[in-house]
Amino acid sequence: MNQLAIKELLYKIADDQLILGHRNSEWTGFGPMLEEDIAFSSMAQDKVGHSYAIYQILNKLGEQEPDTVAFMRNANQFHNSQLVELPNCEYDFSLIRHFLYDTAEIIRFEMLSQSTYEPIAELSRKIKGELKYHTLHANTWIKKLGNATEESISRLQNSLEKALPYALGLFEESPYEKELTAEGIFEGEASLEKRWRQKVEELLNQTQLQLPDWNSVSPVIGGRLGKHTEHLQPLLDEMSEVFRIDPGAEW
Amino acid sequence: MKSLDPRVNRLPGFGQGEVQPKAALDQLGTYEVFVQAKEGKPFQHEGIVHASDIELAYILAKETFTRRFTCVSLYVTDTRDVYVSPLSEGQTSAYDLLPAAEVQQGEQEMYEVYHLVKRGKQHVHAGEVSASSPQGAMQVAKQQLGVGKVVYNVWVIRKKAIRYTTDTDKDLWLTLPDKKYRDASDYKAGDKLTAFLEKAKHAV
Repeated sequence: MNQLAIKELLYKIADDQLILGHRNSEWTGFGPMLEEDIAFSSMAQDKVGHSYAIYQILNKLGEQEPDTVAFMRNANQFHNSQLVELPNCEYDFSLIRHFLYDTAEIIRFEMLSQSTYEPIAELSRKIKGELKYHTLHANTWIKKLGNATEESISRLQNSLEKALPYALGLFEESPYEKELTAEGIFEGEASLEKRWRQKVEELLNQTQLQLPDWNSVSPVIGGRLGKHTEHLQPLLDEMSEVFRIDPGAEW
Repeated sequence: MKSLDPRVNRLPGFGQGEVQPKAALDQLGTYEVFVQAKEGKPFQHEGIVHASDIELAYILAKETFTRRFTCVSLYVTDTRDVYVSPLSEGQTSAYDLLPAAEVQQGEQEMYEVYHLVKRGKQHVHAGEVSASSPQGAMQVAKQQLGVGKVVYNVWVIRKKAIRYTTDTDKDLWLTLPDKKYRDASDYKAGDKLTAFLEKAKHAV
């Protein structure tokens, strides 16, 4: 199998999970209500757990230790989409991002559970329950607040419009799309995006939110190649602050 | 625009106004959470979550009370749908404190019955009964589930008022097992502290 292609695929998925997991964990202690704080923090931990599992697979393919990979790289060495590094802003933005991202996440892992690359297929099957919870949580809130009050609807609408161009950046194509598809490793970003759009439309149609015409939204890309907003490096500095004091320490 | 944050709406307004009673708190309602730890074990009351409706209550209850492998199923119901018997103590059963039974007419419905058999513990599922009212369900439970037992408190809940875990929800508890870093026990702080102190002693 094409190792370069597999590594590229694994890195971008793991980096997305790690960065969004860290971002979402910034809500711990600040969530809008205790129960939601617990749920959101727990899902953030799930995402970090997924990234750890994928970094372990990468480690077996000859990449560095998971901790080194997570904590010792600079922003331009990360392959996450820009969507996941944006600051939390207010809870409406975090919820919309959670919805847009996790809708893509569950479809991506569903596709990967059929992968000919067994380690990722196996992991995808293992985390199915967690992903199902994440989307159930996101969908319930979006349906609820997307039909609630003038304030909740307008807040979600603004956040949706802000997040969409970045969300489309999730599907930035890899240089190895053909190889991945041909070898049955991954069906490809285009196919994922198509299914994602259907799901997003299906859910938003049950709310009072207006989905802009897809053609009017230009994707923000570059994240997969290490091009990031000014928000990623400060996140990494904070996330790795303790680790970098003594990278050799045993935890 | 009225804020969604209840704390903002609780702030007193400025300027002249009438003398009025303090307003009720603008808070979400509560839902009771019942959890089944293992297949074949009875459900027990685990706690309460705040939520705006029963579906959201179910979702928040899942992460609040059953994050890791402690659960195969859970259900939630509006707190106001839990009917509670009098509380007893000593050798008196709560069933004996119920008001005199009256024969009930009307459509029969199924009720879940919970018993408190030890003070300070949770209410545990005791069975289900058919009755036409919560009061009637208590009477039926007394005959079918309460004979010869000391039960300190009885709850009955109409099954139709419960959001159960469906078969398709079951895989919510399938999770990645390798997450020891989430447990305090994975950080052997004591050993490390001892080693550190040893090292420090020798350094001096």
